[in-house]
Amino acid sequence: MKLTKKTATGAGKTDSKGLGLSRRTFLKNTGITTGGLAAAGFMGNGMIRKAEAKTEAISPNAPKEVKRTICSHCSVGCGVYAEVQNGVWTYQEPAFDHPFNRGAHCAKGASLREHGHGERRLKYPMKLVNGKWQKVSWETAIDEIGDKMQQIRAESGPDSVYWLGSAKHNNEQAYLFRKFAAHWGTNNVDHQARICHSTTVAGVANTWGYGAMTNSFNDMHNCKSVILIGSNPSEAHPVAMQHILLAKERNKAQIIVVDPRFTRTAAKANEYVRIRPGTDVAYVWGLLWHIFENGWEDKEFIRQRVYGMDEVRAEVAKWTPAEVENVTGVGEAQMRKVAKMLATNRPGSVVWCMGGTQHTTGNNNTRAYCILMLALGNMGVSGGGANIFRGHDNVQGATDLGVLSHTLPGYYGLSGGAWKHWAGVWGVDLEWLKGRFDPAQYRGKQPMNNAGIPVSRWVDGVLENKDKIDQKDNIRAMVYWGHAVNSQTRGVEMKKAMEKLDMMVIVDPYPTHAAVMHDRKDGVYLLPACTQFETYGSVTASNRSIQWRDQVIEPLFESKTDHEIMYRFAKKLGFADQLFKNIKVEGNIPVIEDITREFNSGMWTIGYTAQSPERLKAHQQNWHTFDFDTLKADGGPANGDFYGMPWPCWGTPEMKHPGTPLLYDTSKPVAEGGLNFRARFGVERDGVSLLAEDSYPVGADIKDGHPEFTDKLLKQLGWWDDLTAEEKKAAEGKNWKTDLSGGIQRVAIKHGCAPFGNAKARAVVWTFPDKVPLHREPLYTPRRDLLSKYATWKDVESHYRLPTLYESIQKQDFSKEYPIILTSGRLVEYEGGGEETRSNPWLAELQQEMFAEINPYDANNLNVRDGADIWVEGAEGGRIKVKAMVTRRVDRGVVFIPFHFGGKFQGKDLTDKYPQGSAPYVVGEAANTATTYGYDSVTQMQETKVTLCKVTPA
Amino acid sequence: MAKMKFLCDSERCIECNGCVTACKNANETEWGIQRRRVVTLDDGEPTETSISVACMHCTDAPCMAVCPTDCFYQTDDGIVLHDKDLCIGCGYCLFACPFGAPQFPTEGAFGERGKMDKCTFCAGGPEEDPIVEKEKYGANRIKEGKLPLCAEMCSTKALLAGDAQVVSDIFRERVVYRGHKDGAWSSLEGGAATPGQMSQEEMAARAEAFATDATFASNTKGDIIAKA
Amino acid sequence: MNTYTTQTGSTLRGARSTGISPVQRLKMVAISLLALLCLTLSSTLWASTEASDAENRVKGNFAGAGYWREVSDGTEGYTTSKGREHGKLINVSGETWRDWRNRWVSPGGLYAIGGSLGLLTLVYLLIGPLKLDKPRTGKVVERWKRFDRTMHWFVAITFLILGFSGFLIMYGKHFVPDLFGYTFWKNLIAFCKLAHNYIGPIFSLGLIVMLISWMKHNFFNKVDLKWFLQGGGIIGNKHPSAGFLNGGEKGWYWLLFFGGLTVVGSGLVLDFPIFGQLRDTMQWANLIHGVSSLLLLAASFGHIYIGTIGSEGALEGMKTGYVDETWAKQHHDLWYEEVKDQAVDEKEVR
Repeated sequence: MKLTKKTATGAGKTDSKGLGLSRRTFLKNTGITTGGLAAAGFMGNGMIRKAEAKTEAISPNAPKEVKRTICSHCSVGCGVYAEVQNGVWTYQEPAFDHPFNRGAHCAKGASLREHGHGERRLKYPMKLVNGKWQKVSWETAIDEIGDKMQQIRAESGPDSVYWLGSAKHNNEQAYLFRKFAAHWGTNNVDHQARICHSTTVAGVANTWGYGAMTNSFNDMHNCKSVILIGSNPSEAHPVAMQHILLAKERNKAQIIVVDPRFTRTAAKANEYVRIRPGTDVAYVWGLLWHIFENGWEDKEFIRQRVYGMDEVRAEVAKWTPAEVENVTGVGEAQMRKVAKMLATNRPGSVVWCMGGTQHTTGNNNTRAYCILMLALGNMGVSGGGANIFRGHDNVQGATDLGVLSHTLPGYYGLSGGAWKHWAGVWGVDLEWLKGRFDPAQYRGKQPMNNAGIPVSRWVDGVLENKDKIDQKDNIRAMVYWGHAVNSQTRGVEMKKAMEKLDMMVIVDPYPTHAAVMHDRKDGVYLLPACTQFETYGSVTASNRSIQWRDQVIEPLFESKTDHEIMYRFAKKLGFADQLFKNIKVEGNIPVIEDITREFNSGMWTIGYTAQSPERLKAHQQNWHTFDFDTLKADGGPANGDFYGMPWPCWGTPEMKHPGTPLLYDTSKPVAEGGLNFRARFGVERDGVSLLAEDSYPVGADIKDGHPEFTDKLLKQLGWWDDLTAEEKKAAEGKNWKTDLSGGIQRVAIKHGCAPFGNAKARAVVWTFPDKVPLHREPLYTPRRDLLSKYATWKDVESHYRLPTLYESIQKQDFSKEYPIILTSGRLVEYEGGGEETRSNPWLAELQQEMFAEINPYDANNLNVRDGADIWVEGAEGGRIKVKAMVTRRVDRGVVFIPFHFGGKFQGKDLTDKYPQGSAPYVVGEAANTATTYGYDSVTQMQETKVTLCKVTPA
Repeated sequence: MAKMKFLCDSERCIECNGCVTACKNANETEWGIQRRRVVTLDDGEPTETSISVACMHCTDAPCMAVCPTDCFYQTDDGIVLHDKDLCIGCGYCLFACPFGAPQFPTEGAFGERGKMDKCTFCAGGPEEDPIVEKEKYGANRIKEGKLPLCAEMCSTKALLAGDAQVVSDIFRERVVYRGHKDGAWSSLEGGAATPGQMSQEEMAARAEAFATDATFASNTKGDIIAKA
Repeated sequence: MNTYTTQTGSTLRGARSTGISPVQRLKMVAISLLALLCLTLSSTLWASTEASDAENRVKGNFAGAGYWREVSDGTEGYTTSKGREHGKLINVSGETWRDWRNRWVSPGGLYAIGGSLGLLTLVYLLIGPLKLDKPRTGKVVERWKRFDRTMHWFVAITFLILGFSGFLIMYGKHFVPDLFGYTFWKNLIAFCKLAHNYIGPIFSLGLIVMLISWMKHNFFNKVDLKWFLQGGGIIGNKHPSAGFLNGGEKGWYWLLFFGGLTVVGSGLVLDFPIFGQLRDTMQWANLIHGVSSLLLLAASFGHIYIGTIGSEGALEGMKTGYVDETWAKQHHDLWYEEVKDQAVDEKEVR
């Protein structure tokens, strides 16, 4: 039966804003409508029951079940008590005993229970037919989509179907998703980490081994100084501010905020530094100039644990105070003041977020921050560290589990060895797996071993001339599985790409902006997915702790869990048997714990191996036993463990490694969570050793640097016989990453050594375009005068399968027509593309309109009043009509826009294009309609933080 | 007898609006009614300060004094509640309230405002039946020995709620921490008041003053919530 | 000195439970009103102490020095709340309004009404109703056309409903619940508010039409001056001359004109809060409405007295439209001269 806009769930549509409509009226309407539809006979009966259950008033005295879950809105990982009565999520209580948040929540966490209502959810599978949404059954949807995919596969190869995954998967789903793509036979799989912290992961991992937050939110209590660059935790990670303010109050920590915008975090800082957007490297080198000039660097630390600092020193010498002021806009006095604050308040921590990462030069920025910490000797100590706050609740986990186009789970990469390792773990024949991929070579590379197209570039994967792409054909089908397309730049071109595709499949709890922004008439499928409150599993917080979530409620409406949908697709596409070889499937639902155990058995590189479901659940049930400062359990079933067993949690679960709360902290034995920098880049370069000197974790038998452990090294050291006979069998010819028995890791740790070796961190990365991080002007820069010195890179013919432009864009002068810098960022009420949060009336009520912050000076010059409508036009011509907010939060010449809005496109309201009853409460122009080209030279991170625009009154 | 009060520590408040949605979560007020709000003064300036505000449950409550129907009453814990059956929606409480706490569902011609709604300190209202009470007034957490959800969920523990004595003790402790010469009393240093010259004693005295009118029940959770 | 405030501040429930009888309550109100009167002179001092108390009350709820100074100026801040004036942290004038309303207008109104009633009682007791000097002639002249009478009674009835409901809105809570119980009070006050808000605009229309159509009768002239000089007959023993309306009636008209329009204007501001009126505006409107309507109410008692029991034969004119020749001659001799030709037999018109 056809659902037309007039007859379907009227509750949603007629009052699309929900203004003045009480929750109760709403429920009543929903109930009535549901009844009506049920009579018409095209509604799954599950939904009817639930909708009716909700309308019944549930007595506060009805029996309560208390579930322990984790907020799904950011990576802090706040604990939540969800109270369920008669299957309805009726109360949300603060988890005072949770070690991360102690009951605290921001606007999003405090409104988590609204997920249990989900009025604006996508309620059943739908497809677009002649421009109208039609309800279809799950079976039909999977069949039709599957057939189309097989057809594309036959015509254009597996790489023409793109699997865009999500940071909203739990760990099990994320892992399964990557594995799924591998079984489909493509590396065209990626997720939001690409456009969030990919430059961090690359920059940081290439500096000292692992690309993750080194310490924890809780450990920040011990900071004596905190420098936040391009990070605004007051809005993006509010509960992190609890920890930061504790440091400020209890520990007298100096808080320094470096940001082009005076943020809510800046308001709480001891020192606020306003820099020109995109000048992070110049700023950090400016600080280091003072640090080196005054001898404030930690010389002993550098000698023992840092390689290549002299090359940095040479570059820093160029950044005299005058040059720094010219480039960044920060004067000498303040530079010196901040440098001194950092030098005299150690240990100190650096925090960065999207403000640092989302640049064409993102990898340079992240490495510069790391070098700053290395120079100050702040690494590997409590109260120090690079505290990189991740974004989505499981973006860390999804990254670790490899929902990325350039690696398999656990950062194993895409080499033959990596495939062999994982084929072994999966128990599938490697040759069969190879047969799934396109065997041809493109520019000498085989798709199986060549990084796929990243999420930031799928648009080009569709639109680019196919001869220029390193795969058989363009992308012809996109699967957006928990992705907000409006969080990606170049909205105008994206619309074109969407219209060129053969098929779009959107798997999400909400229709998302992707359902409405294009003018397609058919070939679009919407599949309703569950939120994390309708399933269970593990999630990795920013501090690398893995937390277990209970299922709070049954799937709402006809939605299904991600892993069930994957199973159904695998069955349709014919590889379910291989995909679920080690995983039991009950009905159509794969067993979560089996998936956890499978990745446990393969994730040796980053120590995701000992966090068994049993241990994770024990942690979950004993939140109260973990210390608020150290995260260590004092007594109880998890005695001695660090909360969530922050990875690396070495060896097998039986080894009972407690997890590593602080990375590279040599003050603890490795067996108790200690570590040193990883030996990842060889043992020497140009005749100079890369291994640590006189630095090793407490209790290590090797009292110096050493390479990573292999079977050979064990034999060399005479430790081979520490392995059991069984372990020997498994370890022969293997190393610490590939020994599936965990024996090599066990023995290394038994001797107090880190399995991954003990090396220096490197301040220079010789494999990157810029060995020493350099300041390079943004592609769209207003400072043409600086281009002679700080121009960008040459264009690249092929990077992640695609031509990537730098110089050819920067060459053109846009600054005359587009004189204002455009930057973007967060609002506390919304998350990501905002579809979910804008559909939550408790949040949507707080931010009802897309706006642009503009300095009074510019506003007056442009004759723009506060609250007036304006057009903001990006340098590539994308324009958005928004409300002006005249404020001194931004500097002259800078406009800031929040990126959570969607449902409007270049002045046109798209509310009517959503399936009936599923339009979010608030729609607005997507910021990224106006953003422009620009991708990081290492990771293809998109540039969202600096471009140019012009503002005109509307 | 305990006297319940709110106290918002502006040194901690980051305008995350957690309290606002926590209130929605607990009380499910309709779209347009926000019993609590966060106000930021000097937005974007170095002296920027945010503070969360709702009904402050005044001891000598102006709303009570001007209400023509006498629909307000104060519980033994000092919580100011009102009887929606008596409320005629005249708006006087709004005119009198120092904090702009009372709100009305509509603002129609002929003074049709509907029944006034305001923060109940999560103490419900005058209804026996818990379902009706929840429907009409929102949560009654006090009855269950819990404090208002806004304060319990505050992201930085800026918003404190509970017995005036407990709240003031917590706050005083913070002030002492911050009172150190190099302390983090940043908005003071930012020039809002005489910077850094306040003695420890003065600060303690001030803290006490903040809580004089703040009045809280000996609720064991008060400790947990605000400890920090 | 806080007796009065405390009383108003106490709660319905509180009041019920403490068991103060209505009489005691009234007594207390009366005593505090007296005390208030005594304090009029020291009011400046009073106000300032009170303000600082209020200030402390508000201030006491915030932490963060320097904050108070700013918020107490009513500085507007940023907020995501869409409520009107929600950016304003402190409603600076609220306390002043409360003070004016509860300390001055409310007791003042009681004085005015009480004074008016008391005075009329005295007049009634000491002087008694004004009788016709001579016997009725049995012939009547037409004084008020049907339209005038309809208008008068329309305005009068709505006025009385508004006066009654307004009075209860102002003072009802001090005695009604105690005398008649919670349920009665709940229904009564809800009705009063509805009646007041819906009948108000209707009254306004009636009043305006009435004022316009009667304006021509109400311009003062020399006769009125003499009328006033003789105090309407109280000074000297001769009844002063008067036209269609005497000086007193014209005075009432203009009181109604200015006072009434003030009441109507301020009332409409209060009754239609849909034009974005802010709290300040509402507070002013409320005070003006209170003062003017209470005065008008007090004055209306005089009009009612004279029109009914205070003056024999006066009510007839408004009831039937016709007055007896004797009455006409006695009260409006000049007008009588004009219309005496049109006198008809009483029986013809009644």
